Amino acid sequence: MKNTTHPIEPEELMAYLDGELPAEQAKQTAAHLRECGECSQIVAGLRDVSTKLRSWEAERLESSLPEAIADALVLRKKTLPRTNLLSDLLNDWRRRPVLAWGGALATILILVGSTVWYISNNASVELGDVRQMKEPSREQRLEWNVAQSNGGRSPAEQTRSSSVAHSASADKAMVSGLLESAGNQPEARNGRDFDQATRTPVSSGPMIVRTADLQLTTKEFDKARAAVESILKKHRGYVGDLKVADTIGSGHTLTSVLRVPADQLDTTLAELKTLGRVTSESQSGQDVTSQYVDLQARLANSRNTEKRLTDLLSRRTGKLSDVLEVEQEVDRVRGEIEQMEAERKTMANQVTFATVNLTIAEEYKAQLEAVPPATTTRLANAAVAGYKSLVDGLLDLTLWLLTSGPTLLFWAAILFFPARFAWKAARRKLAH
Amino acid sequence: MITDETLMLEFQAGSREALEELFARYRGPLYGFFRRRLNGDQRAQDLMAEDLMQETFLAVIRATARYEPRATVKTYLYGIAMNLLLAERRKLLRDAPAGEPPPEPATSDATDALLWIRQALAKLDDGDREILMLREYEQLSYSEIAELVHAPVNTVRSRLFRARMALRDCLEPGRKTHEIVATNKTPEIGSLTRAEGEAI
Repeated sequence: MKNTTHPIEPEELMAYLDGELPAEQAKQTAAHLRECGECSQIVAGLRDVSTKLRSWEAERLESSLPEAIADALVLRKKTLPRTNLLSDLLNDWRRRPVLAWGGALATILILVGSTVWYISNNASVELGDVRQMKEPSREQRLEWNVAQSNGGRSPAEQTRSSSVAHSASADKAMVSGLLESAGNQPEARNGRDFDQATRTPVSSGPMIVRTADLQLTTKEFDKARAAVESILKKHRGYVGDLKVADTIGSGHTLTSVLRVPADQLDTTLAELKTLGRVTSESQSGQDVTSQYVDLQARLANSRNTEKRLTDLLSRRTGKLSDVLEVEQEVDRVRGEIEQMEAERKTMANQVTFATVNLTIAEEYKAQLEAVPPATTTRLANAAVAGYKSLVDGLLDLTLWLLTSGPTLLFWAAILFFPARFAWKAARRKLAH
Repeated sequence: MITDETLMLEFQAGSREALEELFARYRGPLYGFFRRRLNGDQRAQDLMAEDLMQETFLAVIRATARYEPRATVKTYLYGIAMNLLLAERRKLLRDAPAGEPPPEPATSDATDALLWIRQALAKLDDGDREILMLREYEQLSYSEIAELVHAPVNTVRSRLFRARMALRDCLEPGRKTHEIVATNKTPEIGSLTRAEGEAI
């Protein structure tokens, strides 16, 4: 339908409302609408229709991704062709390195964690018992502390120490037996390809870092010190740190950090306790299994990353900046690997060797001061001191003169004549 | 703001976050698209609209490689949505017992305005209604609508105008400024109407 009285067709009015007219035409339409009431009415009618229609709101806003879509995304990721995976890895690595590495790390952690869990779960019943046997119960420890804080060697304590020594040796036999069965058997039986570190006996079961603090007081200090060394030798331990101090007024004190194989800790402690009176004793065990497993997983992941990056470097060619970037990344990953390796070794060492902080104090006996020196000796000492002081003084003066003399002479030579002239002038003035 | 097209390309390259962003942008509009076009029990409509909306995204995920940047993501998504809707309607028609009329729009909790809108829309020709709804609710441009319904832009414009005028007449009964009747069919829209007629 062509409207002969209006330059603008109704359809164009609608297109104008919808923002679908070219700029020039839109301008003309706007101008026409200002003048033409009939067209304005049509526009108002169209607007009404739109307003009314849009009052029907059916949108619903929720933010989370539905399960079906999340699953489909996971499935899609798995079925992506290999070439895409590589390019994805490269793209993600360039754009969001944290995300890419974080994702890879999490996946490997889960895989390694579940494997380790599965392996350790097979021997969980036995190992659970081992832990209970190895770690003294809280009540037991409290009982020990109370008994020791009483001081002195009461008959009750005598009984206790003998029973502790007994139970400790029994523990040792049981623990070593169980550890052997839990730690060595699966390896021999299944021949699973564990990581190099997990082959050490300590990492097969729960990994406990054991620490004991022991304070003794003895009357025969030298004998006790010699005995410490022989006990260590017997149990294949070593001295981490040893200090002997002889303080006037308090006797000798030996402070040492001993490292003994974890399975020998209880017997070592029992033997050390025979060296004197126990004034304080405490033991603690920190379970580092999860930390160790976590560390190993991170280590394995970093190694994989390093391998992947090295492969990338050797297989792909690219811009120099890209290659340099990858090399920097390789360096960083290698640094991380070395750091983690050191950490792993330290942890394994802490588990294999228990730490004993041993302090042995000599029982102090107050002594009378020695006789003061004779008067003649004191006079002779004073004379020697006086002579030394005189010589030192002369020497100091000579040194000073040698150091500052030339400068003094120089200034004296420069100032001598003006000073004499001024002096003479002043005297003349006074004379007049 | 990152364009939809960039997000789609990122998703093609494997970025999950890109799809999540697209989902966040189109979840509501697509749900509304289906919700307004489905008839029957209100709760069933809600569920079906949600299902079809998710199905649209699942189709996008499955056919990631098929998307080409020459079409906008908006028309691509609504294209998939329209296909899904037609398939759903066909299925409903097949499953419904013979001779039974299609279920009427739910009116139990509908307001007067909503009732008017649904009744007025129901009076329109199927093709005109679709074009009008794509313009009013999905806010598509004339050319996007033309691409979706496979018709020239001018046809879209004239059909849109006709549908709006018909609605205006519904809004103000007795007024017939323009001699346009919603049931009139022009030869060029025949193909579209026939295609939809088959579906419904």
